[in-house]
Amino acid sequence: MAVVTTPIFEEYAGGTIAREQVGLWRDGFRRLRRNRLALAALVYLSILLLIAIIAIFWTPYNPATILPNTLTYLPPSGQHILGTDELGRDLLSRMMQGAQISLIVGVGTSAIVLTVGVVVGLIAGYFRGWVDTVISVFINIFYGIPGILVAIVLYLVLGRGLANIMIAISATAWMDMARLVRGQAFSIREREYIEAAKASGAKSGKILFGHILPNALGPIIVQATFVIPIAILTEAFLSYLGLGIPSPLASWGSIASEGYAALPLEPYMMLWPAVALSLTLLAFNFFGDGLRDAFDPRQRR
Amino acid sequence: MLTRGTLIYIAQRLALIVFTLIAVSFLVFVTVHSLPGDAFESERVHGKALQLLLHEYGLDRPILVQYWSFLTNAVQGNLGVSFQIRGLPITPLVTRELSVSAELGGTALLITIGVGTTFGVLAALRQNTWVDYTLTSIAVVGYSVPSFVLAGLGVLIFSYWLPTITNGVISYPAIWTGTYGTLVELSLPAIILGFYTSGQVTRITRAAMLEVLQQDYVRTARAKGLKSRVVTVRHALRNALIPLISILGPLVISIITGSVIIENIFGIPGLGKRFVESILSADYNITVAVFTVYALLIGIANLIVDLLYTVVDPRIRY
Repeated sequence: MAVVTTPIFEEYAGGTIAREQVGLWRDGFRRLRRNRLALAALVYLSILLLIAIIAIFWTPYNPATILPNTLTYLPPSGQHILGTDELGRDLLSRMMQGAQISLIVGVGTSAIVLTVGVVVGLIAGYFRGWVDTVISVFINIFYGIPGILVAIVLYLVLGRGLANIMIAISATAWMDMARLVRGQAFSIREREYIEAAKASGAKSGKILFGHILPNALGPIIVQATFVIPIAILTEAFLSYLGLGIPSPLASWGSIASEGYAALPLEPYMMLWPAVALSLTLLAFNFFGDGLRDAFDPRQRR
Repeated sequence: MLTRGTLIYIAQRLALIVFTLIAVSFLVFVTVHSLPGDAFESERVHGKALQLLLHEYGLDRPILVQYWSFLTNAVQGNLGVSFQIRGLPITPLVTRELSVSAELGGTALLITIGVGTTFGVLAALRQNTWVDYTLTSIAVVGYSVPSFVLAGLGVLIFSYWLPTITNGVISYPAIWTGTYGTLVELSLPAIILGFYTSGQVTRITRAAMLEVLQQDYVRTARAKGLKSRVVTVRHALRNALIPLISILGPLVISIITGSVIIENIFGIPGLGKRFVESILSADYNITVAVFTVYALLIGIANLIVDLLYTVVDPRIRY
């Protein structure tokens, strides 16, 4: 990589531009490593991910089984580390499954939002004109309705299930991503390298996904990270209202709702999902802030 | 202030609100009516009786005809009748519940703006001191901790622990009793609802204040020998308010979203509680009505926000 180039040559050589990008990423990771809060958040999230993976293969008890000869609302003990719930199910097992559900919904929704937002935003920002007008009107209509109402109605139409809840939540969270990508495409399409690509005969698809998208990747990844806590929170809200993940499956939202009903009897049951949700959301927000500071310095607040 | 241009702008925005309302209500109407099952499923009506019932409510007509009659009635202020409580007109119901929600949401909005701007200004004036760190931490906790978690914590402390400790001197009812609740009953849900949004306001105000405080005109005002309170309020805060106003629209939406949860937790008889109940009992006329009312509220709120710009920042004209 130690090729000495004259400044004029650097403007034309694809290789040197690519090398500069590698520098940007490496620089970003270095800045991220220096951010203690973001690192602590990353450690917490890794542990959470590990717990969720373990829960695929093993939980202390079956989270959906009503255990025979077990009292309801048991306080934490050696046998049931977090106690039992209103049906005598093991709370640790249910919390582990809840971690799994939260992470799947969070990351899954973020992936859907990423795909939809990038495609819609790129099309609006690159083609402009009436295409952009139509898409912008759609974005504004979606901004004009409270997201949770859209999610509830859409989820009912689609039917209950893990995949459908992700689609329903995505419908309320794609607008920020689309608007961001649209703005990026707007500014990047005016750059000289796009003009150069067009002059050399590149097709629209190649320009969109080969030139504009890679150059907008920093802010897009940051935005995708911020979608995860929003999705986890919305899923917890829906499950809390009894409109979320279907019943035998455990969600932190539904455990919290059952715990709220049992508050005077057994405060622990509300405590576990409350702490888990709060820590997870804080961790994703801190990690997202760290990512933004590291990879998207222009948006730093 | 009310120039010809402003009036034209208002007219345009009102037209857009009407268009959005029609689009939203149509989409929701068609969606909920395409759901499997009907509102009378739980009553186990079959065959001829069901046909008669569907006919009585006009549910046997084509969907577009049904929507058209909904729309023409809605324009005249008639939002239809409930299926569950047979024949109960929805408009008075929704109006009453809207006033309850407005009481809760309005209080939360006042708390949000009051607490949020105060925290934001204080944090900016004492940047990088313990005051700043404490206030910004509270803000992050505010928008990271779900409202139902705070609600659980609040009820646990004020309804169960404190009454036991103080022998019932301090006691908070966990569920609302009357339609509008008492001031005590209102306080906890309103504070919890406002806590989330005040975190956002703190963050925005702090950032805006930090930027404004570095401007030349603030330095000039200080150099003139003005009191620091005058500089902060009249020169800095007024200009820092502009970004704050830009998030007022999203704030109102946040408060409405939050109120759906809070009303269900505290048993507050508002629109949000009604919405969830109507969904759970397949009372779709109410679902559509509440959805439309929410969209109308947000449209009006956004319009007011845009007009507020011209008040705070005379440079902006429409």
